[in-house]
Amino acid sequence: MAGALRKYAFINAKLRARISKIIPDELLGQMIRSHSLPEAIQLLRDTSFSVIESVYNKTGDLKMGELELFKKEVNLYLELERFVQGSLLSFIRALASRYELDNLKNALRLWFDRTVRGRSIEGSAGYLYREKIHYDLHLDHIINAGDMEGVIAALKATPYAETVEQSALRVKEKGSIFPVDIALDHYFYRQILKETEKLSSRDHDLTRRLIGVEIDLQNINWLVRFKSFYNLPLEEAVRYMLPQGFNIDRDTVASAYASQPDILSWLIQEKYSAFAAMLTSEGTRAPSGSESYSRLILVERILEQIMMAEVRHVLAGYPFTIGIILAYFILKRNESKKIMTILNARYYDLPEDRIKSVL
Amino acid sequence: MFTARMKQLIAVVLDHDADRVTKELLRQSVLHFVNIKEITSSWKSKVDSVTPKISEALIGEIRKRIESFLDLAGYKPGSEGNGTLDVEKLKALDLDETNKALDNIAAGLQGRRDRQRTIQQEILRFEDIKRQLDLFGDLRSGIQARSQYSFLSIQTGSVRSAHLEAFSSALKALPSVRLNFREEEDRTALLLITMKRDEARVNKILDKYGWVDVELSKEMSGARDEVINDLETKLAGLRSEQEGLNDQIRNLIEEKRAGLDTMWANLRMNELYYKIQSYFSKTARTMLFTGWLPAEKQGTLDESIKGITGGRCYLEWNDPKDVQKNKESPVPVPVQLKNPRFLRPFQMLVQNYSIPEYGTVDPTPFVAVAYLIMFGLMFGDAGHGALLFITGLISSIAYKGRNEGIHNLLKLIAWCGLSAIITGILFGAYFGMQLFKPLWFDYHGIISGQAAKSGFVKDVYGILVITIYFGISVIGLGLVLNWINLVARRRWFGLIMDKGGLIGGWIYGAGVYVAYYFVSHDYKAMPAADLLFWLLGLPAIILIFKPPLEFTIRRRKNPAEKFTILTPIDFFMEWIVEMLEIFSGYLANTLSFMRVAGLGIAHVSLMIAFFEIARMVSGGASYNIWSILVLVLGNILVIALEGLSAGVQSLRLNYYEFFSKYFSGSGIAYKPVSLRSLD
Repeated sequence: MAGALRKYAFINAKLRARISKIIPDELLGQMIRSHSLPEAIQLLRDTSFSVIESVYNKTGDLKMGELELFKKEVNLYLELERFVQGSLLSFIRALASRYELDNLKNALRLWFDRTVRGRSIEGSAGYLYREKIHYDLHLDHIINAGDMEGVIAALKATPYAETVEQSALRVKEKGSIFPVDIALDHYFYRQILKETEKLSSRDHDLTRRLIGVEIDLQNINWLVRFKSFYNLPLEEAVRYMLPQGFNIDRDTVASAYASQPDILSWLIQEKYSAFAAMLTSEGTRAPSGSESYSRLILVERILEQIMMAEVRHVLAGYPFTIGIILAYFILKRNESKKIMTILNARYYDLPEDRIKSVL
Repeated sequence: MFTARMKQLIAVVLDHDADRVTKELLRQSVLHFVNIKEITSSWKSKVDSVTPKISEALIGEIRKRIESFLDLAGYKPGSEGNGTLDVEKLKALDLDETNKALDNIAAGLQGRRDRQRTIQQEILRFEDIKRQLDLFGDLRSGIQARSQYSFLSIQTGSVRSAHLEAFSSALKALPSVRLNFREEEDRTALLLITMKRDEARVNKILDKYGWVDVELSKEMSGARDEVINDLETKLAGLRSEQEGLNDQIRNLIEEKRAGLDTMWANLRMNELYYKIQSYFSKTARTMLFTGWLPAEKQGTLDESIKGITGGRCYLEWNDPKDVQKNKESPVPVPVQLKNPRFLRPFQMLVQNYSIPEYGTVDPTPFVAVAYLIMFGLMFGDAGHGALLFITGLISSIAYKGRNEGIHNLLKLIAWCGLSAIITGILFGAYFGMQLFKPLWFDYHGIISGQAAKSGFVKDVYGILVITIYFGISVIGLGLVLNWINLVARRRWFGLIMDKGGLIGGWIYGAGVYVAYYFVSHDYKAMPAADLLFWLLGLPAIILIFKPPLEFTIRRRKNPAEKFTILTPIDFFMEWIVEMLEIFSGYLANTLSFMRVAGLGIAHVSLMIAFFEIARMVSGGASYNIWSILVLVLGNILVIALEGLSAGVQSLRLNYYEFFSKYFSGSGIAYKPVSLRSLD
């Protein structure tokens, strides 16, 4: 009890104060209704996203603003690492590796586009995060590698080389970078779950729940895509699934995948029944656009609502746990995603109702 | 001393006078509007709401759009010094026209941002080239690796010297680096780095100017640094071009500023105009509105409304007590705290806690005195105080006209500095040194054990006693203010029976006397038993009657409340809990003021510690550079650390020990629809 108080009192108070500064829906509404991208960006000037405004005013390039935002998010984790120690520090490091892995995935996509697809990627490497998070990634060596072996060699000083190497063959077979993407996600969750085991029992249970729900949501998202868009066979879909979800295991998926035509409805009704109302048009705003696109938007919206419900549950609970830290990062990620979605939509001049439907 | 006296206005004007009346209400900017249907539910069915022609939210969004443009030139319309709004200039809105004008500006901005983006793409390409070059040990390896690094093309060759300028201009349209490395007869040898995707266009230019491949000389293979310098120059040029475009945007806004400012002012006034009308209700031919304003403004508003309507209006002015009559639930009366400008920082502290109930004591002047004394006692050093005072004063002057909250905070810092100067002179403390004889007592001497053992304060115990006396005074003042509030609100039962009422005060005063008697008799004797009975026993016995009396009053209002067999037990338990609350609460409140001594002692002790460290650093001799550094850093640390602690603790004592005695923070702030409001 006293240990938890000592460990979390300062950091959680700091994060709770920051949670109160999360951008309100009213400002998001103003951004959606703004007449142009520069005006939407200008609305961020007095918020914690002012970095996007200052970079955009300097470069006119939204993607540079996005990169600055990425840097800011990474710095949040690195800052937090300075305030914690022991098993909590290891856990936060594992969480922060999400950004390193995202950056690596982006570099691998550039490599794949350049080497395998023969596309021009000039300039794109400028949008990669260049500072060290935990390991030196040698991004230019990765992008300029002649083949997969070159990529693995560039990664040899990092723990990611093994994961990339294991999926190298499948990348060649499939002619897609997707197997590496998934392998790196598996690696991320493996590390997170490993670090979870070292936490106190209260923190362990809370983390398992939140991370477990996140895994469920990631799995549902993939499964809907595998089934509806790629029509992957069951064995392959199950192989890609992340283990140790909170509500959904491999057996559930296997039975749903084989027998249920609408896997999303079945999984939500069976495992997250409180959100089943959202499956009907009455339960949510109907997203515009093609049917398959709308379906994907609906999936993401339902999954986000499930996650937000978990976050609200954590924020209303006992304050001296790891829950506040996790809730904060989930809320911040969600906030950044919304901001960037709106700005990109403004960039492409999408109509207001279309933007609202994807948020 | 009390919150400003308010009056309620209920007004009925003719339909065709509504526009002029709205403008007059806007000009006067004094009415805190309330929807008339909230005044009495029976009116709900008799009057209709007025839907303003244009939604104030829509106008507000366009106004904010202008603000975002003006912000690009660092200009904030409506802030102090940037002009005032004049109702005479209010014009009807043409939102389409306004939006069209703003869209034109937006298009101008977008064009320049697009150009900036194009330049950014160039920058990224050049940075790509630079990164590629960083991967090579020297240029020769770069040329050999040409096929591998597919988006970079490095080649060496020569063109006729006479064509060099034209050749260079032809390549300018493409991201490229050229380095002349040799001149032989009429030809110049060059190193050329381009992007591979431009290969076709580059080859055309090379063919046109008679490019001939040559071998890279040994001495040039190490010329990578020159290439990188060339790249750096190009990058700097591009960045400066980007900055130039940003300047163009600022200039564009500067050019349009006057027009935007006028547009903004008209939008803002229309927004407020429609906001006022959104509170109107109507019948077939009349408009009704209601609201509150300070009583002193009644005459002016009454006269002007009658004047502009030619007397064709009905104005009803009510006192808050009349409004409350025959109402089931209390009608909230907005509260205006009216204090001199110099007390604004302390008014901010009160408002941060809550708004006092209407008709009660405005705590601002009392908070000012109590806060400053507490701060001074905890931070008594004239040197430190002078620094705080100067910092607060200069920064508040520099911050004038911006965020009012921060401006008040800076003024508060200046006030705290002044208080610390005074107490510092009383204690003879100047940056931890005794430059002049203390006017009251030697705080530093007492803490370091070197003070003369004479006078009222001789030791740490004496300092603690001062703070306890101070605490008793603050709590006593809180009780007196509570009695005044209860009399003002005619809460006679509470005045007598509450723990903050007369009986509570009796017990507290008696408790203070008993404690004083006990301490002054070396903790060995208490007052006589019969005196103790009159002092503490009698009020405790009187309070036994409080729960049954309250029950009787409640039952008069709500006859359904039943007296059961358990009711007397409830009465007894309530009495016990109240007794515990009074005795333990007052004791804790009073002892809580010892923190004032604690913080003061910590302040002095830290300074003594830094002087000791400085002495050790100088090796016992006179001060050297390092010991002076220790003292400077020590003083900075003490000012920052102790300043913050003293500020927070003073606030805490005011909020929890002082306010809890008399402050009822259930009021609502007086917020008129005003030309000066910024929200």
